[in-house]
Amino acid sequence: MIQGVSAPGRDAARVPWRSVASVAGLLIVWEASARAHLTPVLFLPPVSDVVDQLWRSTADGTLARDLFLSLGRAFSGLALGTVAGVMLGLLMARNRVIEWLADPLVALGFPSPKIAFIPIFILWFGIASLSKILLVAFACIFPVIIGTYNAARSVNRLFLWSAMSLGSGRTSLFAHVILPACYPRIFTTFRIAVPVGLITTFTAEMVAGGGGMGATLIYSQRFFESPTVFAYILVMLGVGLVLDAAVRKFQRHFLNWAEEAGA
Amino acid sequence: MGRAVPLVLFAAVWQLVVSSGLINREFLPPPTAVAVAFADLFTGGDIAKNLFVTLFRAGAGLLIGAACGVWIGAMMARSQHFKDYVMPIVGGTYSLPKSALIPLFALWFGIGNVTAIAAVFLACLLPMIVNTYHGVTTTPKVLVWSAQALGTARREVWSRVYLRNALPDIFTGLRIALGFSFVLAISAEMIASTNGIGKLIFMYGENGTYDYMFAAIACVVVVAFFADRGLLLVTRRLLGWHESAVADHERRRA
Amino acid sequence: MRPKVDIKIDIRGVSKTYASERGPVLALRGTDLTVNEGEFVSIVGPSGCGKSTLLYVVGGFLEADGQVIIDGAPITGPGTDRGIVFQEYALFPWLTVHDNIAYGLERQRLPAIESEKIIDRLIGVIGLAGFENRFPRELSGGMKQRVAIARTLACDPAILLLDEPFGALDAQTREIMQDELLRIWLETRKTVLLVTHDVTEAVFLSNRICVMSARPGQIIEEFAVALDRERPREELVLSEDFNTIRNEVWLSVRRQALAAGQQNAEP
Repeated sequence: MIQGVSAPGRDAARVPWRSVASVAGLLIVWEASARAHLTPVLFLPPVSDVVDQLWRSTADGTLARDLFLSLGRAFSGLALGTVAGVMLGLLMARNRVIEWLADPLVALGFPSPKIAFIPIFILWFGIASLSKILLVAFACIFPVIIGTYNAARSVNRLFLWSAMSLGSGRTSLFAHVILPACYPRIFTTFRIAVPVGLITTFTAEMVAGGGGMGATLIYSQRFFESPTVFAYILVMLGVGLVLDAAVRKFQRHFLNWAEEAGA
Repeated sequence: MGRAVPLVLFAAVWQLVVSSGLINREFLPPPTAVAVAFADLFTGGDIAKNLFVTLFRAGAGLLIGAACGVWIGAMMARSQHFKDYVMPIVGGTYSLPKSALIPLFALWFGIGNVTAIAAVFLACLLPMIVNTYHGVTTTPKVLVWSAQALGTARREVWSRVYLRNALPDIFTGLRIALGFSFVLAISAEMIASTNGIGKLIFMYGENGTYDYMFAAIACVVVVAFFADRGLLLVTRRLLGWHESAVADHERRRA
Repeated sequence: MRPKVDIKIDIRGVSKTYASERGPVLALRGTDLTVNEGEFVSIVGPSGCGKSTLLYVVGGFLEADGQVIIDGAPITGPGTDRGIVFQEYALFPWLTVHDNIAYGLERQRLPAIESEKIIDRLIGVIGLAGFENRFPRELSGGMKQRVAIARTLACDPAILLLDEPFGALDAQTREIMQDELLRIWLETRKTVLLVTHDVTEAVFLSNRICVMSARPGQIIEEFAVALDRERPREELVLSEDFNTIRNEVWLSVRRQALAAGQQNAEP
């Protein structure tokens, strides 16, 4: 996350009156215009309806089921993509041949919209979770490879030289110097991959179905159930916020030795 | 161009894997078939038409989103009040997967251009806001003071110092936004559109004409690649003085 | 007492070219230098003359033409016989003070009890008791440099290579660290090769000073420094013999710096 712009709630020192006012204002305008029928109920259901729907979905378990499915897919894909990406990035940094081979593939893959590959993944792996998990891994792997590769190649040479004159051999250098030196940057890349994983999961579900938050969202839209549409979007927003906060907490705890958070 | 050699190797392996029957032709059309489909699409005009639509949507959303994003980001840097009002909305949309709004926009604007452009616009907004804000707020004080001591008028300081200093960050944001514009445009097309290359890919998939599907996907990959490269080139030209203009991956190894 | 005049470090005809944006740059040209066992030798010279490069070649980190012979055998790369301390400390940021110092010892696979004893002693020597579990990020510049020195000493190298080790510190801390370094050397009598731009520092610490020419670097002049270092700093630095030597060395470096300036002024 770029410094200076943080998720709401970070400025806990003083009560952010203006921020609260702006959100409250939006909600009030929303509720008022819906109630006064300034906008068709279809387009903008009253906040109360949305909250009501949210409650109902939670109560009958559909929300929990969808959320569990989507998040499970997203996390699996993220884990797979991150691990594979780190390994490949390190391999590329270490071995010139592998780097030469992988370079054009990574260069092509990185800017391309991975979403375009959804039909291929459906063709090969069906519409159930497997295709989504693999697609998420595919989407996350590229930024992770590049971030890891760059981190591994830019390790301060003074670290390497110090370790060498303290008796480190090649393997030890890699495991005890290069790898730890890369952790902060790899983690930053992972932080970027998390929202990518979520977006890819939801979009894949919207396009291909097969259950999950995205599928329910698109069905609701097709059947004009707008409170559900709004409710699910709000849940996705909440999930995004919670995950980002969790990741930042993890970073603060385990990478507190890094000079700058996210450096 | 030597860097593309591994791609040729890759295509060769691909051809081998299919011809030898290791993978069913049904699931993976050989590169030769894909190439034929590719050529056919281009001459037939199918791709050109749809590609144009997609690029139009992505481009429009990107331009409007970038312009608004830079303005909002700059205003946030300039006025603490403005920042306080706008922060929760900006921070909130950071966490929201933008493609989740596509069904909502489809509800509001129906199936077609507006939905796609709106989705792209929102997705491009955030990286531009964040990067512009960062670029302006990290302008070293000493630069501003030097300019003032050299007689720069107050209003000019903004354009001549702050914004100029923010340019590399703005272009970094633009690169990210460019990627997003493609993703959102194609997502929107796959979910809620009757045309565009996203829809085309989807349709070919449904009809089972997989060689055409692969060809269309390849087309998207190539276009996205060259768009990205193009932006990098422009960035390097304009911002040759700043090392961030060159992406890490492009830096020649020492 | 029979004087030991074993040659510890023998640098013969070392030349080093490195690539830069503007083409190849000759950093060192046929540099020769011998350092005897137990000597404290400083290399001074104008900025960019290649003195750090020479140190890195001796450390085995850079390849060069010519030979570097240690104890009669040419070097083949970095080794635990030559400990190095950099200006930027180069402490591993992901390890605590304790673990940084322990790093070299781990490579030697000593039994844990022995390692701990060595680490404890060193932490005492550098005066950082109580800071064992801090990360480098939490330390001041002077403290970081002490840890860097302790980390190098843990391996008990016969030779110490120091690259402007106190350059990043403020003047007061620098003097304290110089006193520390002198004390350590007087106790252990290791062979020390110090690169510095601070002439006063060189005179204070070494028994021989080599002045390097402007780039491409060669040893141009040598000064023997025979001072009674038992004297406290206040007396020593203000004394006449100290300042005579200091002025001579300073003049020599100044001449080289001016020559370098003229060199750069030419198109």
